[in-house]
Amino acid sequence: MTHCSTIRLDNLAVNFDDRFQLTDINWQIEPQQHWVITGTNGAGKSALAAILAGVINNGAECLSGTVEGLPARVGLVSFEAQAALIDAELKKDDADIMDVISEGTPVREILYEDCQDTELAEQLIEKFGLELLLDRSFRKLSTGESRKVMLIRALASKPDLLVLDEPFDGLDTKTLGMLQQHLATLIDTVPMVMVLNRFDEFPDFITDIAYVEKGTLQHQVRRDDARAYAELYQLLHLKTTDLTIPTADSENAIPSLDPEQPLVRLNNITIKYDEKKVISDLNWTINPNQHWQLSGPNGSGKTGLLSLITGDHPQCYVNDIFVFGFKRGSGESIWQIKQFIGYVSTALQWEYRVGTSIRNVIISGFYDSIGLYSKSTDAQKGIADQWLALLGMANRADQPFNKLSYGDQRLLLIARAMVKHPPLLILDEPCLGLDGMNRQLVLALIEKICAGSETSVIYVNHHPEDQIKGIDNYLAL
Amino acid sequence: MPNNYFNTLPLREQLEQLAKCRFMDISEFPEGVEALKGKKMVVIGCGAQGLAQGMNLRDSGCDVSYTLRQAAIDEKRQSWKNATENGFTVGTYEELIPTADVVLNLTPDKQHTAVVKAIMPLMKQDACLSYSHGFNIVEEGMKIREDLTVIMVAPKCPGSEVRNEYVRGFGVPTLIAVHEDNDPKGEGLALAKAYAVGTGGHKAGVLMSSFIAEVKSDLMGEQTILCGMLQTGSLLCFDKMVEEGVDAGYASKLVQFGWETVTEALKYGGVTNMLDRLSNPAKIKCFDLSEELKQIMRPLYNKHQDDIINGTFSRTMMEDWANDDVNLLGWRAETAETAFEKTPAGDVEISEQEFFDNGILMVAMVKAGVELAFETMTAAGIIADSAYYESLHETPLIANTIARKKLYEMNATISDTAEYGCYLYNHACLPLLADFMKDIKTDVIGRGLNVEDNGVDNGRLIEVNEALRSHPVEAIGSVLRGHMADMKKIV
Ligand SMILES: NC(=O)c1ccc[n+]([C@@H]2O[C@H](COP(=O)([O-])OP(=O)(O)OC[C@H]3O[C@@H](n4cnc5c(N)ncnc54)[C@H](OP(=O)(O)O)[C@@H]3O)[C@@H](O)[C@H]2O)c1
Repeated sequence: MTHCSTIRLDNLAVNFDDRFQLTDINWQIEPQQHWVITGTNGAGKSALAAILAGVINNGAECLSGTVEGLPARVGLVSFEAQAALIDAELKKDDADIMDVISEGTPVREILYEDCQDTELAEQLIEKFGLELLLDRSFRKLSTGESRKVMLIRALASKPDLLVLDEPFDGLDTKTLGMLQQHLATLIDTVPMVMVLNRFDEFPDFITDIAYVEKGTLQHQVRRDDARAYAELYQLLHLKTTDLTIPTADSENAIPSLDPEQPLVRLNNITIKYDEKKVISDLNWTINPNQHWQLSGPNGSGKTGLLSLITGDHPQCYVNDIFVFGFKRGSGESIWQIKQFIGYVSTALQWEYRVGTSIRNVIISGFYDSIGLYSKSTDAQKGIADQWLALLGMANRADQPFNKLSYGDQRLLLIARAMVKHPPLLILDEPCLGLDGMNRQLVLALIEKICAGSETSVIYVNHHPEDQIKGIDNYLAL
Repeated sequence: MPNNYFNTLPLREQLEQLAKCRFMDISEFPEGVEALKGKKMVVIGCGAQGLAQGMNLRDSGCDVSYTLRQAAIDEKRQSWKNATENGFTVGTYEELIPTADVVLNLTPDKQHTAVVKAIMPLMKQDACLSYSHGFNIVEEGMKIREDLTVIMVAPKCPGSEVRNEYVRGFGVPTLIAVHEDNDPKGEGLALAKAYAVGTGGHKAGVLMSSFIAEVKSDLMGEQTILCGMLQTGSLLCFDKMVEEGVDAGYASKLVQFGWETVTEALKYGGVTNMLDRLSNPAKIKCFDLSEELKQIMRPLYNKHQDDIINGTFSRTMMEDWANDDVNLLGWRAETAETAFEKTPAGDVEISEQEFFDNGILMVAMVKAGVELAFETMTAAGIIADSAYYESLHETPLIANTIARKKLYEMNATISDTAEYGCYLYNHACLPLLADFMKDIKTDVIGRGLNVEDNGVDNGRLIEVNEALRSHPVEAIGSVLRGHMADMKKIV
């Protein structure tokens, strides 16, 4: 039986030293649940864990909202707590400086300071191999050793809630195994909240995951919701891995363009259907390395305008259009145009109803085709695999595309569009139809692309919140 | 009366022309559209093929414009809209034909004699005239001016498919031919190859053939397995189910969407794969039914092929043309009145597998029709590659049209020639199968086999599997599908 009741954090905002704030925290922890808090570095994971350990009014200030149901006895293991203890020890040293040279507090004393279960403490001391260190001064321990002390201290304090902030960091494999085993024996008695960064470290008994980003609790996912769990994995993967965009295919490079020439120049463009003009007399020049945002209400002709550039709109032949060194309608083929463009839109996704493998979907970007109809080279396969690794889909390379979730398909189509490092990447409402998590995934990927390549981006969207860093030219229809 | 060109040839040459067919590898097209660069292409007609081919050619860098008959321009008909809305120049024959280096005749076959007679005097010296079907040359014996080069580029798919596959970055299998009587400068093949590249056909496979082989195989395929068998099968299966008390809405849906679903399996692995989708007992049942069907229908397939080869078919059809299409229009109206056509598909869920399980007879009909058409064509001297495209390959494409709007849609999409032949087949086949249908129950159409377990005699199953896999249409099929490696991955 646990002694913990439901813990509720409602509309909570907390100020930490004016350096960091948590805002809009709404969270409920049930007695039978075991949570992982995860997120990128600096997102506020440890801060959120610290609230459960009682940091409010004890180093942090509550700006608004309430915390209810926090148990009296919380076992806390964290780097901060460890550092604070060592700090305190060092301060003692300073204080004693005039006196006899201090040996500092022995490990034994630290361990039993708060101990509620001597038997357990002794068992753990033995298991963790700390017997020989009991009389050593705490501050003289290595980081790993002092971490073990902190763990035993917390576990033997008979807590009503265990808060473990990166508990596995710095432990050798043997100790790690032992600790995980021990934690597994506690799951019916103590609810646990762990801060962990790596999905592969999540213990099996974890029931729920909280994803923290920019000081707020953005997603709460149940472990048994397989799809949401997989998406969260990808999001964390994209956000935390040090991404580098795979190189282009050096064997089949895109012809180089004259850097002095604009990529696209549209002169007095008109698009009309049944004599009704949707766009008239529009001029637009896109120079190399410019990023553009294109906006406008539904039906304002955004997609039509873009398809004049890609060559998919038949009226590109009756307008004055210059793209990638070609005057349209002068004997060039659309494949000569498309080789310079990466393109993603909802319509493309609809058309891309193909049962081919997701690796082939990425490779099809080299050929601008829907489906793959050419023999791909080993180099291309290698690049596709790098993209799949980047997307966190390396283990799914041979799965059929049409069986994937909508969000995964979108990510793959963005990778397909980028695989050849096109001079121009057109993203026509890339987040349309995606839920919050998939939106973030897509935006995270696009941001990496904008930052890491020579590609000019045209970004079409409705949503002011879907901003992309680095876009500074705007065209509104 | 027109003069059948094929019948004027000596037997030796007839056989040689019929057997002309070679699969061309994509590596045989290194010049791309070069032979058409700087040439002016003028398309006559802007219907299904005209629009799709013209858009593809333009997107491949060719100079394309359209000429329509005066009335179509004056009345701003659909063909005029097709061309102008897509940004093409449209003009009269007098305005555009004299400027053309290549004239693409993409009007209905029935109109070819009149159209060609009208434009030929306007054509430039040494220009090229192309067709997408050789009926006019082969069956009507149209004589073309001696200085003109005459070629054929015939996509083996409906126009919509021609365009869609191109946009995907692919193409559709395409047959090309040069009319040997009209190749004064020996440039026909180069032009036909460039044209095939311009439509994207080279990516999916090009067959180099003859006008004669194209016409005789195309007619045979479309009137038997492709349209005829599907029409007859639809009517028989639907009526049988209703007669046996299956809900009419269900029966309508099973038939309308069943053809598309079961023939989809042909694209991936031929007849073998289609039957592999059945349970073992159902597979054996289906095999036995199709053997029986083949035996009953073989004389009909032979008759169709004979009438096509000796010109009887085209002669009777042209008599109907001369008679204001009385037969064709009557038969079209008759089809519209059938119970299947008039019963809308019910609002019921039918899973993909259920179409197979409850449509054993439909699978058997497809198998029998594909194999018979293939066997009959090859026996008549048509090469296997050609026979494959005109039978198995096109069956799922035609089945798609039935899924859209039943027989009406199928007959609207196919050419008048195909439609005419389809009705001939249907009229002969319905009575032919009357006795056979008497013994049919809902276990093979409508409700599925009612078996306790899936056990079958191993020996029999091995025999059936062996027979399926060793049919010659399967051997050529796996080679040709291999050329289109990823086509089969498209769903
Ligand atoms: N459909 C297929 O699956 C397919 C496949 C391969 C090859 N083909 C061949 O392609 C050719 C065209 O077939 P299609 O299916 O594209 O035909 P279609 O859709 O019926 O189009 C015929 C076009 O020709 C015009 N036309 C009709 N009668 C005319 C006349 N007397 N003079 C001038 N123009 C006329 C029509 O326009 P207006 O009536 O407005 O003038 C229309 O634009 C045929 O030779 C056919 O065998 C068809």
